[in-house]
Amino acid sequence: MSACAGVFAVSFSREQPKGATTLQRERQLNQFLAGVERRALRFAEIAVRDRDEALDLVQDAMIKLARNYAEQPEDEWTPLFYRILQNGIRDWYRRQAVRNRVMVWFGRGAKADDDYDPVAQAPDPAGRSPDDLAQTAEAMEQLESVVGKLPARQREAFMLRTFEGLDVAGTAVAMGCSQGSVKTHYSRAVHSLRDALGEHWQ
Amino acid sequence: MKKPQHEEELARQAKELFDDSVERLDAATLSRLNRSRHEALAELERTKPVGQWARWMPATGVAAAAVIAVVVWQGVATEGPLPATNTVTDFEILLGEDSLEMLEDLEFYSWIDPADQETNGNVG
Repeated sequence: MSACAGVFAVSFSREQPKGATTLQRERQLNQFLAGVERRALRFAEIAVRDRDEALDLVQDAMIKLARNYAEQPEDEWTPLFYRILQNGIRDWYRRQAVRNRVMVWFGRGAKADDDYDPVAQAPDPAGRSPDDLAQTAEAMEQLESVVGKLPARQREAFMLRTFEGLDVAGTAVAMGCSQGSVKTHYSRAVHSLRDALGEHWQ
Repeated sequence: MKKPQHEEELARQAKELFDDSVERLDAATLSRLNRSRHEALAELERTKPVGQWARWMPATGVAAAAVIAVVVWQGVATEGPLPATNTVTDFEILLGEDSLEMLEDLEFYSWIDPADQETNGNVG
């Protein structure tokens, strides 16, 4: 009986630091998500061209990361998070494709995104003039439009490498492909962008 | 040589524009992101890993049940019914007139019982 009590006492005493570790992990995850959430939102927004949809996708990715990968080493979170987000974006495209087919069947076209405003009308933190802001916004809109028209794998490679600053290995994890494929997709994306964006980008 | 420089320049400009758009997100959007993050952290709380001992609890329960079952089964198999004579003798002692006196002198009888056994052992 006393031996049994001893075993439970040892088990319980071993559980104490685990609670502290979990709290620390929660803090680390909070810090990670706080650092990545804005960029992830813009990342998803450029891909799906809709802020509400992008917010939902980012939230799903956050929850899935917390649910399934919180115990993974912290340095693996970034590629894992973007992999989850990419999968969410691909699923979104599949759903959109099905929806568009159904809409066409019922005689309604897909919703035009001409009225889409990629950058919210917020005060500029850098204090630039309205002209500068308009110019920057126009350039960003142009970039988003061109990036959005890239083939999915090229767009993913370009955005992960350029916008998120992931290295080739991290991008490969996020895209779920080889590093060679990442290099190929990225190179093709840059060439397409250069052709599409014109001389003022050179 | 010119091409990589151009690619780098294009990537740099694109990143600057992207970073700028990230910085200019409005307060409502940031608030929604904040809520999303807290929901994700709540999910972490819900799926908190169980302790080491709690993880083994089902297996421990099954093992304990198996041990108890074996002990009970062994006990039933080996004990068998008591001899009827012993039961009758015990009842006679309990129902006899001397039983109350026996209870009063319990200390004496408890002393005499080991003494009897020693005597019998020496004789045997």
